[in-house]
Amino acid sequence: MTTIHKMLGAISVFALSSMSVADVHADTLQDVLARGELIVGTGSANPPWHFTQNGQTVGFDADIGHILAQGLFNDPSKVRFVNQSSDARIPNLLTNKVDISCQAMTVTAARAQQVAFTVPYYREGVGLLMLDGGDYADFAALKAAGSDITVAVLQNVYAEQMVHQALPEAKVDQYESQNLIYQALNSHRADAVATDLSTLKWYMKNNSGRYTDAGYAWNPQSYACAVSPDDARWLQFVNTTLEQAMNGVEFERYAAAFEQWFGERPPAPETGFPSEMR
Amino acid sequence: MQWDYFLNQVISHRDALLQGTAITIGVSLSAIVAGTLLGIAIGVAVTYGIKPLRWPARVYIDIIRGTPVLVLVLATFYISSAVGLDLGAFQAGVLALTLFCASHVGEILRGALQALPRGQIEAGRAIGLTFAGIFRHILFPQALRYALPTWITAAVEMVKASTLLSVIGVAELLLTTQQIISNNFLNMQFYLLAGLIYFLIDFAIEQVGRYVGRRLDRPARRTT
Repeated sequence: MTTIHKMLGAISVFALSSMSVADVHADTLQDVLARGELIVGTGSANPPWHFTQNGQTVGFDADIGHILAQGLFNDPSKVRFVNQSSDARIPNLLTNKVDISCQAMTVTAARAQQVAFTVPYYREGVGLLMLDGGDYADFAALKAAGSDITVAVLQNVYAEQMVHQALPEAKVDQYESQNLIYQALNSHRADAVATDLSTLKWYMKNNSGRYTDAGYAWNPQSYACAVSPDDARWLQFVNTTLEQAMNGVEFERYAAAFEQWFGERPPAPETGFPSEMR
Repeated sequence: MQWDYFLNQVISHRDALLQGTAITIGVSLSAIVAGTLLGIAIGVAVTYGIKPLRWPARVYIDIIRGTPVLVLVLATFYISSAVGLDLGAFQAGVLALTLFCASHVGEILRGALQALPRGQIEAGRAIGLTFAGIFRHILFPQALRYALPTWITAAVEMVKASTLLSVIGVAELLLTTQQIISNNFLNMQFYLLAGLIYFLIDFAIEQVGRYVGRRLDRPARRTT
């Protein structure tokens, strides 16, 4: 994975340097309107964020794409999802293969040097999933086991550091895709899976009685979409659309998606003093 | 093992599985056919070409064979965009595998051609054949026998390498399998099924190769 990250990093730098010369013009908003559809880069195998059902891309990230399409064309269906791996989120933006990447992307300062993040549309945390009736009962037992335990986690530049924030001595095994970390747990290669709380809840809901939550959450982080840098008008449009979905006239659409995928309704915006200013 | 549930899931996702399998076969076959044709040209160039042809062909073989397929896939996908050639993920993937296949076929053919006695070219010239005629009627049919087993291995490798296209978003069989698993969480069962399908595709290629090999080994039919 480190190798793939290095390769994609090099490609990103190459693409960025090529585009700074070749692609001075950047008016994605105009391009998207002229094209008549929005191209959203997202994944296809990470529920409840983005996955495939009956040949369609669904999930909360997909619904964010529909909200943007509604804002652009007054038609939520005018969106095309480009299937991309999580490593491809930035390179695909920098090479104009997608207009926007909405793929459970954690906002970090390092990434913000390469892409422009939109306003966050979800606040995520990390939890630990274990087999029900397994060797360790809860988080305290995991921590007490020290270096005897192995935690499976999705490959990520920060994955090892992130697990060690909660379990400093645990061994960390990184896997390429979401389903492989659960496979590691099922086959007892790992004692626990460190994954997003939203994903953890979704997995437990769909596998009733097989798993348990260790009962510890940490590493709060913001999820946002990302757009190509140096396209302020496009970023401004997306931000306005997302803000109005979370706090304004499109709240019902956002709330319905939130409730469908996370099982709870987000707090409704209040009238009077603008909630955006709090 | 939840076999009933698994079978139901296979049936309900059969269209996706068939489509993923078709894309795997389509990508692999396209790369094998195009890569073989390009590889034959490269193999001939590196064996019999004049220096301005031979050296670029040699460099091509050495660089592409020495490059991991994943790097080729990523480079083809992203660099093509950066230079203004807007290839889709499928097209970029086929191109990357074609380039890789061609480098292998070129080297395989070079080895096979160099194993043939030099005197056969001279004998062909003696009976008035052009180089194209000598290659077509004398060298290539013999080289094919030497090259076939390793060519089959290269073709099987292309099927396996097609799994790497998932990284650029081509929904081939492996990515399709992961998409299905994300719905039903039957990890082991669907990975085993995918493994079985890959085996069947590779087995079919091997059988075709063996059939062709048997045909080539048959003595030529006498016409007198």
